Amino acid sequence: MSLKSLDPRVNRLNLPDGEVPAMEPKQELDQFETYEAFHQKKDGAAFTYVGPVHAPNEDVAFLFAKEQYSRRFACVGLWVIRTEHIQVTPYGNDGENIYDTLRAAQPTEQSEQPEPYEIFHLKKRGKAHTHAGRVMATSYLEALQEAKSAFGEKGPVVNIWVVKSKDVLQSAEEDKDMWTTIPEKKYREAIAYKVMDKITKYKEENKTTAQ
Amino acid sequence: MNELAIKDLLYKLADDQLILGHRNSEWTGFGPILEEDIAFSSMAQDKIGHSLAFYTLLHELGESEPDTVAFTRNANQFHNSQLVELPNGEYDFSLIRHFLYDNAEIIRFEMLAQSSYEPIAKVATKLKGEVKYHVLHANTWIKNLGSSTEEAILRLQSSLTEALPYALGMFEHSKYEQELIDAGIYGGEEAVKIKWLKRIQAVIEQTALKLPDLESIAPKFGGRYGEHTEHLQPLLDEMAEVFKIDPTAEW
Repeated sequence: MSLKSLDPRVNRLNLPDGEVPAMEPKQELDQFETYEAFHQKKDGAAFTYVGPVHAPNEDVAFLFAKEQYSRRFACVGLWVIRTEHIQVTPYGNDGENIYDTLRAAQPTEQSEQPEPYEIFHLKKRGKAHTHAGRVMATSYLEALQEAKSAFGEKGPVVNIWVVKSKDVLQSAEEDKDMWTTIPEKKYREAIAYKVMDKITKYKEENKTTAQ
Repeated sequence: MNELAIKDLLYKLADDQLILGHRNSEWTGFGPILEEDIAFSSMAQDKIGHSLAFYTLLHELGESEPDTVAFTRNANQFHNSQLVELPNGEYDFSLIRHFLYDNAEIIRFEMLAQSSYEPIAKVATKLKGEVKYHVLHANTWIKNLGSSTEEAILRLQSSLTEALPYALGMFEHSKYEQELIDAGIYGGEEAVKIKWLKRIQAVIEQTALKLPDLESIAPKFGGRYGEHTEHLQPLLDEMAEVFKIDPTAEW
């Protein structure tokens, strides 16, 4: 059976008729690595986790994250972090403060000089991790301890992400205009088009003939 | 203020954005990976949005409604450069075109943001941030792929060679070139071209690609005066297919 698409772009591909030859087996884990994106809804607001992208490197991850996560909503800044660079604590239950259960342990790796770390809190399961602040430390573990005394007492915090600041790719100040162009992009959502009224009207008008 | 000159400028800007926006939208669902498909489609949508903004300015100057202007003209009434109407080819060609085009477009928008004709200046100021992202997208890909595998470099190089005569065609002078410059409405194509060359050189230098000697290339002119390749009319027919079923329909 020869297939014809209603999409002229598909027909232009001149796909061969008949059996489609089987794809060559793919290598396992052949996908790009993942990066996690955080957006800032307005100036001064904390950066909040929005989701992952696959990308061959950080710069491309940034390109993808921008269109994937800021094209519909107001967004004034974006951070992108390679997933591998995020250290994750165990999860607590809602209402708990995971900082209380963290045991002081000896870090396996330590830098000679303290360096900045970014701390992200998940306040409730199902919500998004939000930037809580920055601490100076010589290891991820020390960063957690610093974070606990700096802003960890207020709870509840059910999970914490710790990232070295140098591993965060941040949108540049001079590129601010890239974000503020058109803050609301409702026209990109189906809901902005009032088609239901027209469909209802059409149905009303055609009620008798539709039987 | 010379209205004919301003209209000519607006048509050129709007038609370029509409036709390339439509071309690029042909990649929707066919992109190399999901995230790139989304990004490329989203930029295509931006471009069509930009064309609407310019057609709206034209409407305020007495031209027909934006939809009428976009969907009912024939190829010889379009003022876009031939570069934007060429078929997409493979992804290397689409990326090279995107790179050559948007690096010129950002210069136009920056210039227009300073235009003495206030309606254009307002639109350009509002939209240029989007074009800035389009340029970042294009440059990032060219830098990455242009210094990656042998196949990628060969493909991009051959697409670059193929696209350049058409890219130079973007800078075809309009009938009103000097008038627009003198009135401070638009800096003119020569000025855009000089800045454009610097911009694309700066990116290409960071790759294994080579920019051919532009002096030895004959630009493909004509687009600004309604002369087009055989590819534009089929694009317009496809773009207007649904509109033409019922031009009076309310959307």
